[in-house]
Amino acid sequence: MIASLNGIVKRYDSKLVLDYIDLDINEGQIIGLLGPNGAGKSTLIRCLTGMETVNQGNVTLFGDGKKPFQNKNKEKIGLVTQEISIFPELTAQENANFFAGIYGLKGEVRKRRVAEALAFVGLAEHTKGRAQNFSGGMQRRLNIACSLVHDPKFLIMDEPTVGIDPQSRNHILQAVKKLQRNGTTILYTTHYMEEVETIASEVVILDKGQIITRGTVQDLIRNIQHEERIKVEVSHPEEVSLESIQALPDVKQVIKDGNQILVVSSANSGHLDRILTIIKEDSGVVGINVEKANLEDVFLTLTGRTLRDGGSA
Amino acid sequence: MTVFHFVLKRSIANKTSLLILFLFPVVAIFLPSGEYWPHLPYGYQYFGIFILFISLKLSGLILEDRMRGIAKKVSIAPISHFSYLAQNLLAYFSILILQCLILVYGGVLVGKELYQPFWLFILFITFSMASIAFALMWISFFRNKEISMLIFMSIISVIALIGGVLIPIELLPEILQKIAIMLPTFWLAWGIDWVVFGGELKEFLLVNGMLILYMFLFLITGSVKKLH
Repeated sequence: MIASLNGIVKRYDSKLVLDYIDLDINEGQIIGLLGPNGAGKSTLIRCLTGMETVNQGNVTLFGDGKKPFQNKNKEKIGLVTQEISIFPELTAQENANFFAGIYGLKGEVRKRRVAEALAFVGLAEHTKGRAQNFSGGMQRRLNIACSLVHDPKFLIMDEPTVGIDPQSRNHILQAVKKLQRNGTTILYTTHYMEEVETIASEVVILDKGQIITRGTVQDLIRNIQHEERIKVEVSHPEEVSLESIQALPDVKQVIKDGNQILVVSSANSGHLDRILTIIKEDSGVVGINVEKANLEDVFLTLTGRTLRDGGSA
Repeated sequence: MTVFHFVLKRSIANKTSLLILFLFPVVAIFLPSGEYWPHLPYGYQYFGIFILFISLKLSGLILEDRMRGIAKKVSIAPISHFSYLAQNLLAYFSILILQCLILVYGGVLVGKELYQPFWLFILFITFSMASIAFALMWISFFRNKEISMLIFMSIISVIALIGGVLIPIELLPEILQKIAIMLPTFWLAWGIDWVVFGGELKEFLLVNGMLILYMFLFLITGSVKKLH
């Protein structure tokens, strides 16, 4: 077990921010911690890293529940902050060197780790460049390199892709997967569900300070998926026999909207082939779209709100 | 000593900082003397204000660390809050010592009348310590460097004025003279008078003792706040 939170309660004055959180993080996992702004993700990280004391409950790190934040445990943790936590006036190499230094790395090991960390995030060609002259994406990558330089066993990434271009985002997501393959356990917080769907081996959804569900992406989607929506764009909508489609078992609704036919049926009904056959008898098929549920729908189903802005759907 | 090393590096990372830090003491050496007051050349009389300004500029690095989230990373690293602060303060102090050395012994070299240069150097050193601690306390109240700097500039003018650094304290109303005793700048001005006119050593020790007392008070207040 890398980390464990047991019954964590955190209040700021009278405001309850974490409400009896229980969370186990096992070795080699990428846990995607998903939640809207203000859900308590950053507070959870602050409690997990010892930046905040908890009002109730226990934190265990690397099996150590008595003194989880002692130096020997701290040495094994890396934190990628939401902010770009680097010194803009220093070079990439100097930045990485600083963080290597505060983790006690010395001499040749320090030199090697700095070079490796910068190479890992694709900055090997920019070691002598000042961070202030880097693009936003490069600064984000340097931020990650500085958190990796001491080769942590457990890496906590707090919204590491905020405000960057898709190319840098992909680079970061690939890097996270590579880290996992190298044996690093990762807690990845974000409110971008696509990122979690791409990388996480397990998803934890946090809302209003509570873990509302957890599991693999597939499990979570399967749990809420009650229906599927097939949208077929046709060449001659007036010719299509809607009654034939409606007659299929488990079909709940058939709607004609312009040159589109929307078929709503029970989940996993396996109707796609049959629907296409019926339509092709009378008309041509121009396009097909099968709408599948995603984590956004999971969140919506469980809370009645959208994930991205926390607002009502 | 990673933090110490990098604070020094960051302090002189650009030419503007380098100029502010080391050109000013050189310029100050060559500032003229007043006819009746101050008793030391202007560059020496007003050096305390410069020390206060530089202390805030330097300790602003801690505020920058806090604003950028670097303090968060440091707080989860195997380095204590005390060690991080101590290494920062030591780096600022080293820079200020160098400035005091340039000003005082540069003045001696060019033949300025400094009466008791060694004691003047000691006075500036103790005032620097109190000043750095004051700056540390000051930034602990703020989360934004620019705002803290702006308000501090106004405060510096007031405490320099009331403390007797900008004008002779005797010219101030009696009530302000009483208030002045509570300000570190009052003890600096007293110390400068002692350097010029001489007196018993215990009087000078009292001045420096008060400045060191201030240093501890400010340090305790300023270091209580969490790093991140």
